[in-house]
Amino acid sequence: MDFLISSFVAALRLIGDLSPDVLDAVGTSLAVSAGATVFAALFGIPLGLLVGLSEFPLKRMVVTVLNTLMAAPTVVVGLLVYGFLSRQGPLGVLGLLFTPTAIVIGGTLLAAPIVANYSLASVRGADQRIVPTALTLGAGRFLAVGSLIGEIRFGILAAVIAGFGRVVSEVGVAMMLGGNIRGYTRTMTTAIALETSKGEFAFGMALGTVLMTVALLVNLFLGLLQRK
Amino acid sequence: MKILYRLHSVRKCYGSNVVLAIEDLTIVGSRLYTLIGANGAGKSTLLHILAFLSLPNSGEIFYAGRRVGRDHGSMKECRRKVTLLHQSPYLFGGTVYDNVAFGLKARGIPAEEREPIVEQALDTVGLRGFGGRKARELSGGETQRVAMARALSLKPEVLLLDEPLANIDRETTGVLETVIASLPSQGTTVIMTTHNPEHPDRLNGESILLEGGKATLPHPPARR
Repeated sequence: MDFLISSFVAALRLIGDLSPDVLDAVGTSLAVSAGATVFAALFGIPLGLLVGLSEFPLKRMVVTVLNTLMAAPTVVVGLLVYGFLSRQGPLGVLGLLFTPTAIVIGGTLLAAPIVANYSLASVRGADQRIVPTALTLGAGRFLAVGSLIGEIRFGILAAVIAGFGRVVSEVGVAMMLGGNIRGYTRTMTTAIALETSKGEFAFGMALGTVLMTVALLVNLFLGLLQRK
Repeated sequence: MKILYRLHSVRKCYGSNVVLAIEDLTIVGSRLYTLIGANGAGKSTLLHILAFLSLPNSGEIFYAGRRVGRDHGSMKECRRKVTLLHQSPYLFGGTVYDNVAFGLKARGIPAEEREPIVEQALDTVGLRGFGGRKARELSGGETQRVAMARALSLKPEVLLLDEPLANIDRETTGVLETVIASLPSQGTTVIMTTHNPEHPDRLNGESILLEGGKATLPHPPARR
């Protein structure tokens, strides 16, 4: 127990001293997670709205696929993107492997199904009278869908936040596609894995504390939105 | 006498269930019609078709002499002349003003022109000064009146009302009945569903009887 307490105290000291390694990992984590979340929102929100608002053959199958993708193991996504970005892969010439961009690509693939599913759930849970009301008041389809988005905006925002939560806390994609390069692609999660294996438990604890704080803030914000 | 709607051989089905089968129905402008019939007779389905919110599976609909096509542009153009008010209307988040101004905004009417129209509409339903109130904090009767003001602000050629006088307090009923009865003289055709057998007489309207999806008009014969 003493070990845990002393490590935690050392971790707090590292955070308090603004250790450059801690700051680097935190900065990289937040940057790649924010980037991936933006792209995931750009793909996921329209996809969720489209599936939720339209009727088409195989819709049930599309929903099942989206649900399955939501639970996709991060290392599988990392493996797939690795295949594309590695030197022998179809996108190898771009030289993106082991860059923050590669983590953003992987993170986008992880978060997009979550954003799409949560958006879809928001559309399904929305009041069925919204679109007909907008239409009967003279709105075109575009404005009617815009009105629906306006009414379910907190659900959409919750979807985006959930996507961010998935990316910021994952380790598989960041490790496989980023390569854990110090000061460049080292994220909080990959740094925790590495430093702990090296016996730098306090350093891992410091990053873990920051990561938990980020997760806590994200969830607090999410809870706040759900109460609205 | 301006003919607004003409429905010919209109059928609406949900799966194998035929909910509406109207051979011929003509609706004349500047009149008030009450649509009566038992639950499941097809009243709401007919209102949705008349509001151009859904299309029949077969048959033809003419509005003001023009055949209504299945293309989005034709439906949208017709929708701008017709407004449907639901029994339990939906108010968007935001203020009462935002709600009443919604349709005006959709039509591209500038903000400075919207304001007097909204105020006039709220005044008509007895809600003067309610513009700044949050729409979601209104009572059931107030919600119904705001929805009516929102419809009136558009000065529609046709106002379709789905049981507008059900489940509301006596004061709101009185206000809405007065407003509804006055609309035909202002050039608005009203078609409202009701279960109250007194409404046709009280509102000086004609009845369309729907039985098993089939319409009979007038019932009783028009008194005008």
